[in-house]
Order: sequence, then C-alpha cells, then structure tokens
Amino acid sequence: MSDTVIYFSGCWANYYGPEIGKALVEVMKKNGFQVVVPEQKCCGMPMMANANLKGAGKNFNFIMKSLYGAAYPDHDVITTCPSCNMMLRKEGRKFFDSAEAAWLSEHIFDADEYLLKLHKEGRLNTDFRPVPLKVFYHNPCHLKVQGLTQVPLDLLKLIPGVQVVGSNYYCCGLSGSYGMKKANYDRSIIIAQHVWDEAKKSGAEAVVTECGGCGLRIQSGTGLKIIHPMVLLSQAYGLTDVQQVA
Amino acid sequence: MTGMPSILVVEPSAEQSKHRAAGVMVRRDARVSADTIKKQLKEIRDYTRANHATLVDQLKRSLEQYPGVKLFYAENSEKAASYVRQVAGETNLASINKSNVLVNELRSKLHALGLKTYLRYFTEFNNFDVATFKKSVEEYWSVPGMHARGLVESFEVRRQFSRLSSNEARDYVAILGVNAVSAADGTILFLQHMSNISKDLEQATKIIFVVSVEKVLKDRESALFHTRSMGIFGLESILLDLAPKPEEAYDFDSLPVMSTTNDREVHLIVLDNGRTGLLNDGYGDLFLCIDCRACARQCPIGKHLLVDRGMVYSPKNYVLAFLQGAVPPLDECLHCGRCEVECPVDIDVPTLIWKTQMEYAEKKGRSWKKRLLDDPEILAKLGGLTAPLSNWASNLPVVKWIMELTAGIHHGANLPTFHRRTFRDWFKGGSGE
Repeated sequence: MSDTVIYFSGCWANYYGPEIGKALVEVMKKNGFQVVVPEQKCCGMPMMANANLKGAGKNFNFIMKSLYGAAYPDHDVITTCPSCNMMLRKEGRKFFDSAEAAWLSEHIFDADEYLLKLHKEGRLNTDFRPVPLKVFYHNPCHLKVQGLTQVPLDLLKLIPGVQVVGSNYYCCGLSGSYGMKKANYDRSIIIAQHVWDEAKKSGAEAVVTECGGCGLRIQSGTGLKIIHPMVLLSQAYGLTDVQQVA
Repeated sequence: MTGMPSILVVEPSAEQSKHRAAGVMVRRDARVSADTIKKQLKEIRDYTRANHATLVDQLKRSLEQYPGVKLFYAENSEKAASYVRQVAGETNLASINKSNVLVNELRSKLHALGLKTYLRYFTEFNNFDVATFKKSVEEYWSVPGMHARGLVESFEVRRQFSRLSSNEARDYVAILGVNAVSAADGTILFLQHMSNISKDLEQATKIIFVVSVEKVLKDRESALFHTRSMGIFGLESILLDLAPKPEEAYDFDSLPVMSTTNDREVHLIVLDNGRTGLLNDGYGDLFLCIDCRACARQCPIGKHLLVDRGMVYSPKNYVLAFLQGAVPPLDECLHCGRCEVECPVDIDVPTLIWKTQMEYAEKKGRSWKKRLLDDPEILAKLGGLTAPLSNWASNLPVVKWIMELTAGIHHGANLPTFHRRTFRDWFKGGSGE
C-alpha cells in the first residue's frame, strides 16, 4: 500500500537539522508513505515574535496555498517542528484565517502524533531493532499547549531499548531568537536552569526533544546529545545511527 | 451603623483536595469535574460581560436601601484615588490588600496623594517559620502542581459580617479590592487565605471597598460561585509572590483602639479604569477573568516581572495594565502560549499579547533590531551558502561581540550550525546525498 503525506519541514529541519527531515522521509517510507515536500517558506512565527504582522501574514498565506494545493482533499500534512505546527494549525488562523487554513487545521499533525495515530489504527510498522539508550525527554511548550504531552512518551515507549529516565514540561527559555537577544539572555538562562538541572540529574545519555531551539538550549547547558524522535525512530528501523548524527 | 449589605469571607479549609473542593462546591456529596465548574463559571462570566452596565445600575439601586454605604463610580484610577483621599480626611495611614486593582491600579495614585499604604498580608508572615519553609520567591514559582503533591483545600464561607462593630476601631483607612459584589442585594465577597481582610473589617475606622466593574455579578449565588472558583483555580497560584516584604508591612494591631464609638464609614468604589472601553476593541475576553492567576503560574517570565515591577503579576494583568497605559508592551513575553492552558474561562491570553504587540508596532514602528531578526530564512540561507566558514566565523569572539553590538545577539548565545546542503536540497536530489 502506498499513501501520500505532505511534509512541512520548516526552517529548522531544512537549514539546521537536515537529518531530521531525512529521518522523517525514511520513517514514512518504512510505513508505506510517499512523502511530498511542496514549496514552503518560514512559518511566520519568528516574524510575529518581532511584531511583523504583515510579513507573517504573507508567509502564512503562501504556505496555506501551497500546502492546501498539495494536500486537499485526500492527504495529511506533518511537521517536525512544534512551533511551525502551532503556527500553521492554530496561531496563524487567529490573524490570517482562510478557507484553506480552516481545512488544513484539521489535517496538520505533529510527526509524533501522526505516527502514534497510525499505531492506534494498527498501521504503524513496528519492526524495530532495539536502540539501547537512556534518554531524557523534554516536552516543548508549543506541544504542551496543544495537549501533546503524553503522545511523544507513548511513541518512545514503542522503541525497544529506549529507556526514558526523566522528562519535563518546563520552558527552556530560548523561544527562537528570544533567548539569544542581549535584552533577554540572562533571564532566559535562569529559566533554562531548571531544565538543565533535571536533564543532568536524570543520568540520561541523550535528550529527546522535537524542538530544534529547545535542543540547542539544552545542549548548551548540559553537553548532552540532542535527538529528534524521528531520528531515533529511523535508527530503530535500522536506517540511521544516532551516534553519528550531530 | 445604619445598615449595610452582607460581607461574606470565603476561606479555604485544610480538609479536602482541590477536586473534592470542586465537588463540594456544587453538591456536598458528589464529585464534580473541574469541567463542570468551568462551564457554570463561564456562563456566569458571559452574563456579566453582556450585562455589565445594567448590573452596575442594579447595584446602585440595591445599595440605596443601605444608607451606611456610599457608592462611587470611578471612571479611572485617578478619580478613585481622589475619592479615597477625600474619604481618608486627616488620616494618611492605609491598609490595602494584595489585589490587582489596589496594587497595580491604585497604589501609585494613592501615594501621589500622600497616603501611605501597607499590605497587611505581609505582617501575617509572623505566623510562618521562614527557616522551616526556606522558600524563595523563585522556588515557590516553580512548585509543580501542588495538587498532585496532595495539598488539600476547599473553599467555603467561613465568616459573615452584617454589621461592623466599633469596639476594635483604630485610626486608619482600609482600602480593599473585593472579589465579587452581588448586584441583586449588594453582598460583598472576599477570598481570604489568612486573616488580613477580617482584621481590617474589624479595625479600620473607614473602609473603602473597590470592585472593578467586571466583578459586579448578577446575584449572591453567582458572586459566591465566582469567589469560590477563584479560590479553587487560583489555589496553586497563591504562593507565587509569597515573600514577606518588610517595607510593605505595618503592625496595625498595635495601633491604639479608639475611645470614641462613632459609626465606622463604609464606601464602595466601582472602578472602570478603561475596562468597558476594551469591550469593543477585541479585548472583551479580559472581562471574563476571575483573577485566579492560573495563567501566572504557567508563565516562565512571571517571577521576573513580579520582582522587576512590583505588581500583582499575571499575563492577563500585564495586558490590562498595558491597555490602561501603565506599562510598556510585553517585550519580555516568550510566546510559549502556556498562559492559556489552565485558564478556567478560556481566555486566549497569548493572542491578546500578540495583539497588543502588533498594535503597538503599528503605531510606534519597530526597532531595527527587530527588523533584522524577523526573517530567520535570510540568515539561514546566507549561513548555509558560506558554511562551514560561517560556522567557524560565528564562533569567533570578535564576531560574537560584533553581533551583540549590531544585532543585539548576546555574545554568550549558542547559535545553530549551518549546513551547506539543506534538507530540501537533499530531497530534490539537487545536491545529492
């Protein structure tokens, strides 16, 4: 059986974490999906955060047209970045709603969420090899606020060998360029400390998180390897060696 | 005293859990889900928002039967403060409670008129063994889910005042933000965690209640439900700024009891202060708020703003204060969206924050640093094209300092690694694998 799924990579998986995008494509192939990557731009959330409503609207509307064109009426859209997901599915509509955006909001899924949905439907390929790894799971705010707190943990449980030795739901303080800005840096480090302390004391060998920004911040404070769940899954399918991924 | 409406003081007990408290609130023998409470609360709040002008009129009429209470409608905090000043007369000493209207909206105006205000709440910390608690503001702020830790509370009317005795009167004025007022009969409701409010009701010669216009509710039942809801949903937020502040404490108990037995004065200020003006401006949901501060507990930057600005902080309070012209736009916001998660009346605070920022930028323009950072793709494309040189360069101390000076990127910030071959290049096969 071959089905099609539309992938919105966003900036992180495209420019900074290409291994995440590659892993997603391979994982979906393992589940009988053909992946389509339509034309796309930045989701617009960084523009919103810098009060550029016009620019954000331009990008959002462009993406909605592109994704709708590729997905409607039969396909779903998946994302690997929690912030892109929240922007495309929820936040953007509050300012730039359209018929396309309304339809898409029901058809956009986080990658973890989509795979767990497949599992519940009995469609997930669970031919996993063990991945012996102690991990700490960090739930990004933009998944938490969409109620996606347990989903990632349930997905990780399906991978033999993966042991979740700790998890948290605090903010890491980075939030895109926010925590990099001089005006916010000190405050954002204080916020991050909680996450760093918990990750370090957990005894984990690596941190699993969906958000590239959270990963960057947690790595800087703990020195631990950061792994996206899709990369971990691709290793479980024998496609990637997480130790080789930067 | 020539007659006044009832004052009900709702207090927690240490008998039942938060969810049990929610159950007790509706029927003593049944557990009711928090969702049921929220539904009823939302109905009460929606009704209040839709009928606020009528309710204030009704309250005025209800209070006419109580000549002991003088009602004053204040359009803004300046007018409210002037009224307080006039009522206080010779007295400059005032006790206030830790409410949004008092601390955020009135306190500075009262000070400007020569009144000295103290938060009686803080003197009550004498009852606590600080050494045992060993909690700083920050530690309290990060207490995760006290309910899950088995904190037990419930909220009931524990005290009722239907007349104010003069036996304990002392020479000071108490200015108390109330949780709700019933328009139907004038009943005034407080939520009290310690004994500061009861003591002010017993001791202050002049008592001025302040109710913000959205807290005038239909009837006593609604006002009580609202107040108890604030207790239940705000239970885990009461510790947020539980830090004794010596400069805000004053020992009112030690003031001499007045020998004269004159009637004590009671006033009720209904404060608008820009609220009704927000209803048709896309900010009408602020009218639904019960001030439980569930949003504050979720806010990662709350404790910083609390310390920095000395306000009763919540993301919603900040939005309101900004719209009232009291604070700058919330540039400190991370846009994590967490302030919406626990709101019992589903106020979309994250969107209200976005909205204030966009409207401010529309009026005042954006800083060039914001313009520089708003499109991550420009930087990413540039960095990718010049990788690995860009990665090497961005880690050079001199480059980090230049970025701090020009783009406002802190020199200590970790930057992501640029890749010459992007995911989409790989996918298209353009650059191969």
